[in-house]
Amino acid sequence: MASRDPASSEGTDAPLDTNLLKEIARKALVDSLNSVNGAKTLVLDPSLAGPLGLVTEVALLKHHGVDKMFWLEAGPLTSTTSNIIYLCRPLIKHVKFIAEQIKRHAKDAAKHTYTLLLVPRASTLVTRILEEEGVLGDVSISSYNLQFIPIEEDVVSLEYESVFKDIWVDGDETAIYDSAQALITLQKLYGLFPRVIGKGDKAARLTALLTSSLAQARTSSAPDTLFQSSDKIDALIVLDRRVDMITPLLTQLTYEGLIDELISIKNSHVELPTSLVSPPTAETTGLAAATPSTSSGTLRKENKKKYHLSSSDTLFGELRDLNFSAVGRRLNKVARRLEDDYKASRQAKTIPQLRDVVGKLGGLQSEHQALRLHTGLSELLVPMTRTDHFNKSLEIQQDLLASYNVSEQISAIEDLIAQGAEIELVTRLLCLASITGGGIKAKTLDNIKREILQTYGYHNLPMLLSLASPPLAILLPNPLPASASATTLPKYPYTSLRKSLRLLIDDNPEALDEVENDISFVYSGYAPISIRLVQCVAQRGGVLSNPADRDKAVRQGDNSTIPEGKVQAHAINGWKGFEDVIATIPGETVDVIQQGVGRSSASPPLGRPMENTITTVVFFLGGCTYTEIAALRWVGRQNRGRKFLIATTGIVSASSIIDGIAGIRKTGGSSSKDAGI
Amino acid sequence: MPDHPTASWQAMQDGNVFYRRQQLYSVSGKFPDFADYIMAGCRYGGPIAVMRDTTKLVALGRATPAFGKSQIQVYSPAGEGLLMISWDQGKIIRVGWTADESLVVINEEGTYRVYDLQGDYQQYSLGSDAAEMGVIDARIHEDGLVALTGSLTFLEVKGWKGTRPLTLANPGLPEPPHSWAIIPPDLNISRHVEVLLSSEGTIFSVDNLESVDQRLSQGPFTHISPAPNGKTLALLTFSETLLVISTDFQRQITEFDTRTVSAEGQIQQVEWCGNDAILVTWSSVAVLVGPFADTLEYFYSGSLFAVTEPDGVRVMGPDVCDLIQKVPASVLAIFRPGSTAPAAILYDAWQSFTERSPKADESIRNIRPDLAIAVDQCIDAAGQEWEPYWQRSLLNAAKFGRGFLDFYNPTDFINMGQTLKVLNAVRYYEIGIPLTYAQYIYTLPSYIITRLTSRNMHLLALRISNFLGMKPDHVLKHWASAKILRTKPSAVAGSDGELGGDEEVCKLIVDNFKKLGGADVSYAEIAKRAWEVGRTGLATKLLDHESNASDQVPLLLTMKEDRLALEKAVDSGDTDLVYHVLLHLHQQLTLGSFFRLIEDGGSRLAPASKLLQVYAREQNRDMLRDFYYSDDRRVESAVLALDECSRMTDPNSKTTSVKAAQKFFSEDKDRGFEAKMMDEYARLLTFQQQLEKEGDGKISFFGLSINETIRTCLLNGMSKRADKTKADFKVPDKRFWYLKMATLIEIRDFEGLDAFSKSKRSPIGYEPFVHCLIENGHPKEAVPYVARCDSPKRADLYAECNEWRLAAKECKERGDKAKLEALRKKCPDSLMQREIDQIASSMK
Repeated sequence: MASRDPASSEGTDAPLDTNLLKEIARKALVDSLNSVNGAKTLVLDPSLAGPLGLVTEVALLKHHGVDKMFWLEAGPLTSTTSNIIYLCRPLIKHVKFIAEQIKRHAKDAAKHTYTLLLVPRASTLVTRILEEEGVLGDVSISSYNLQFIPIEEDVVSLEYESVFKDIWVDGDETAIYDSAQALITLQKLYGLFPRVIGKGDKAARLTALLTSSLAQARTSSAPDTLFQSSDKIDALIVLDRRVDMITPLLTQLTYEGLIDELISIKNSHVELPTSLVSPPTAETTGLAAATPSTSSGTLRKENKKKYHLSSSDTLFGELRDLNFSAVGRRLNKVARRLEDDYKASRQAKTIPQLRDVVGKLGGLQSEHQALRLHTGLSELLVPMTRTDHFNKSLEIQQDLLASYNVSEQISAIEDLIAQGAEIELVTRLLCLASITGGGIKAKTLDNIKREILQTYGYHNLPMLLSLASPPLAILLPNPLPASASATTLPKYPYTSLRKSLRLLIDDNPEALDEVENDISFVYSGYAPISIRLVQCVAQRGGVLSNPADRDKAVRQGDNSTIPEGKVQAHAINGWKGFEDVIATIPGETVDVIQQGVGRSSASPPLGRPMENTITTVVFFLGGCTYTEIAALRWVGRQNRGRKFLIATTGIVSASSIIDGIAGIRKTGGSSSKDAGI
Repeated sequence: MPDHPTASWQAMQDGNVFYRRQQLYSVSGKFPDFADYIMAGCRYGGPIAVMRDTTKLVALGRATPAFGKSQIQVYSPAGEGLLMISWDQGKIIRVGWTADESLVVINEEGTYRVYDLQGDYQQYSLGSDAAEMGVIDARIHEDGLVALTGSLTFLEVKGWKGTRPLTLANPGLPEPPHSWAIIPPDLNISRHVEVLLSSEGTIFSVDNLESVDQRLSQGPFTHISPAPNGKTLALLTFSETLLVISTDFQRQITEFDTRTVSAEGQIQQVEWCGNDAILVTWSSVAVLVGPFADTLEYFYSGSLFAVTEPDGVRVMGPDVCDLIQKVPASVLAIFRPGSTAPAAILYDAWQSFTERSPKADESIRNIRPDLAIAVDQCIDAAGQEWEPYWQRSLLNAAKFGRGFLDFYNPTDFINMGQTLKVLNAVRYYEIGIPLTYAQYIYTLPSYIITRLTSRNMHLLALRISNFLGMKPDHVLKHWASAKILRTKPSAVAGSDGELGGDEEVCKLIVDNFKKLGGADVSYAEIAKRAWEVGRTGLATKLLDHESNASDQVPLLLTMKEDRLALEKAVDSGDTDLVYHVLLHLHQQLTLGSFFRLIEDGGSRLAPASKLLQVYAREQNRDMLRDFYYSDDRRVESAVLALDECSRMTDPNSKTTSVKAAQKFFSEDKDRGFEAKMMDEYARLLTFQQQLEKEGDGKISFFGLSINETIRTCLLNGMSKRADKTKADFKVPDKRFWYLKMATLIEIRDFEGLDAFSKSKRSPIGYEPFVHCLIENGHPKEAVPYVARCDSPKRADLYAECNEWRLAAKECKERGDKAKLEALRKKCPDSLMQREIDQIASSMK
């Protein structure tokens, strides 16, 4: 398939220039730093290091007077400069650390000037706590408005860590407000979203906030873009994570998704053994590959190094969205080509030929290095995908999705508990069973819960309760107890959706390897509901049948007329055609048309034929998975004239969601006091 | 016809440069005698503040306004009294003006007030340190101030919002400086304020990082005065020599001995006239010193006061208010005697034209190539002239010249016409803002509007803003506030009348806003104003018109509309706003009524309740416990107890917490399961304590899960105890078997494993035994268990144990040829392969 190559088809017309956002974030940071005169010590919230690393680099900070950097954590702080800047999110925990450090300095009679930069905005809460701790007078508080960070050309993210838990477990809707503000900023840059389409209660809340904040943003001297419908964006699609809880619970099967599942990606960085990341010194490749030990225990001990996964690594750009089963073949192909290139270079005889070769050599070497890295990485992954638990869980997932012999699946989950599988794995499968099956038989559920508590400890009870409590409600008994049934949402109509949205694709596995016929390739046969919903709006044909199939038919029928082979994307027309399906999914449905006002010339009619490529923004409130990004990119490739810009509060996976609910925070490498980005 | 423009010119520097002294207003007797007063003037044609100089004697019975020692009078440049402030605080040490024409007064205790022209003020303080040390002097610039404290350190305040003062570097002065000055932040390269102070022979420049000795020797200086653009500095030595140097102290530009001037008394002021000349004033003489030490002398009938403007200097004497400035280039080109500039000829041509003289045509023809420039210059010169008569003639000349041009963009012409209309309006003596064209362009039209509204001249402000096509919001807002202040309901009117008054005023305001297009005006601000003057009813009515929730909330809080404030905050979706309200209410209300407020809110206030829980969980657990208790939230109470339990280490209190959780759960009839679990948990903890006792405290059990307890028992050879745990806590066979098997393999107790496997029929089969052994690197030990597995799987399992022969045999027994073939392919070494081949052949 020619269109498969991302470089050729996407390179020319990138959706929107998201680098603008990066520039804005960077400039805001520099301005904040410059507002404090002289050398300064920067104390950084570890959870911000990742996001900041995507925006700036240490050199830039040094250039603007940052002398030393520390992590913000409990314990004393020794600083040589008189200026100390704290950069953190407005969390109570952080503020307490800061207050502690300031008080200690006061006791030691160390004189410092404190500046507190809060991300993304100052908060009353912080002021209040500083006041309670008695240090408010010593700190000048301002804010650093870090909003969407472009983590990829077509993906922008707020990089919040615990949005899902905040919204659906704690009921803290700060993230919704911040998202609305960030979307306003997008509109300031690119113009009004002509239409906002959404699904889910929180999506509706966000849309409402968006409209009301827009009205407020307009009053003060706002740029013209806030008054005119955008000519680059045709719609914003808002999906809250609660609308599709199934997808993130499944094991992601694309290359990038699998890396996230098994090794975990944080702020686009993955921790890999040093030998893989750094350029080859000896034949380390061979060695690393020779020890595919079954448990990753030995690997853990090796020194780790962070590696930035992005499409600047061309090979990764090619691989990231492939189903893992196809990765080996692609790597093989690249290796062959590389070998040929090397061979060709050796055959160079004449001087001009040699010059050519020398020119290419650097490229070849970096390609070689990338190949080595990804071969090594997939070799790391393969043994992890061969374990019993991994395969058993895949099997259970597939069967649950097909509603095949549900009670047997549940006892299989029980077996996993007996075998001591990880609690995350058990929990995600259990939730999946509950959602797909409309609850688990009350008695069985109690039994399993008991097993979980006995096996993993009784302190897990609050997590189980959170999973069952109303706003989330993804682990429910069937039937519901009489008292609870009134308050909870209607059941998730998975079985009917499976039919109406064509969620399960009976692709034979061989065919799947050859072409990706449908977004279901990301889960080897299951199409993510969230992306199907996007298709309902932006690619109606794709929901009903495979565009690729139809496309093939067209090509066979008439080869000459449509050389591109792609269908022109249709105009956005709300949920039209799928109203009934959408209505069955719990949560509010949103469809708002935003009109330009006042000074704008007549806004472009909504149904106009699209000559130029237009962008549709898809916002995932509560995070999205790498597979969903991959699937959406696939959807974008199927049509001419429409690109997607994926916006999200963060990247999630089943384990990050469940860890979040359980209140486990995996801190990465903050052992050293010196901070780095 | 008014005087010809050149009448006010005086030549300097061999007649190449002219300065003009433009009389702005005649102010006979309107100002007090400046000699007895301390003055502060506001830039851009702003007012002056006048305060009695208490160090000077005043002759009794003189016909001066009788103001006492602590009063400040504010006059417009035209001599109209704008405001009188009585000062009731400590001794005033400095008065000055902000960029938006607010008067700043700072006293020796470090307290400062920012007054607007209506006399309303905000009071701030430099902090307790400054109050202790005392403030001995201060310099006020447009966006902040620098104070010199009694301990000779400098404190800087940025902006006028009462920010915390910053300490500048300590220059380590032995005594107060002879004189000092500041260069405002926006004129410095560093963008931070710089203090220049004269100490002994030299000058120190001080900013927030360091204090640098500039190594001068001519000092000490009695006056330090930076130019309006901050690039040059005028210094006056004790020997009355005027030095002009660059602010980087690299270059001396001019030196001038002021004793050559025949003036009496001391030098009063050293002020800049624009950026290139300096005005030195004595009690009734002002001398303008040009860049090459040429001078011009101006005489006044009494003491005078000069205010530096960016393009000149304003001098107020007993009779007149003058503007002294360099004659602008365009005006000079036209009116300079004998000028042959195209603009001069164009002007001449126009005059000839009005006199119907044919010379006009000839002149125009002469300057044909430069006509466009001439027209532009005429337009510009019109802007620089003060008298409408000359403005008009210059514009007419431009219009005349324009007629001869084929293509001419009239925008400049029109703009100038509009601008002059505005300028002439505000220069009128009743308004008294003598703004020059250059100042107007520099300060933007919106500034004029602000200045007019702050003088309560709303009608003019509204007309000007309409005339210039600006939004009327600002004017309307100010008008509404003023209106509310003015229409205080009379005490006589009684309650009915008062209500009617509110209704009326509200209607008047809303109607006017609608009529005049002030749709974006924030009603909340106006409502706040109404609330501040005690008109709650009016405030509530106005608030209803506010669409922006975040603006309503703070006011509602101050108005004690707690419930409404919380609802509005929740509706706004701004969690910070909700916190703001919650924390405020938590402080204001009793805990009981605070909780009741939230609980009564039901689902409307649910988000607020959630946020309160998030906050309390981190910061105030006792409150959270009370909150759950008062709301009968058993489950949450239980979870909180459990959460606390997880933070505890002491066994007894831990058990107590678990029991508390159990009790909470048991009170909710739907939570039977959870209550049972907690009961189990408590039992487990007790049991674990018992186990620890049995192990003489060497083995730690407390807090482990049941699985881990069993495992620890097995690891330490307490297998009886493991069995008891299983029985007591009804651990299912399957799980127990997996656990025990894995543990035994972990400690390599293969005999124990064997015995265990034979103790009864395995509920998990024997495959897990094989797998687990292989995974832990004991393939040999796994072999015996293969035989006990289901026969179809045996061949593969043997192969996994590296027992190819046995695997092959297994296949043979089952007659599974295909499997055998598969085995052969997988088999690693050729010897084995051959053997398998043999077996295969034997099968035939």
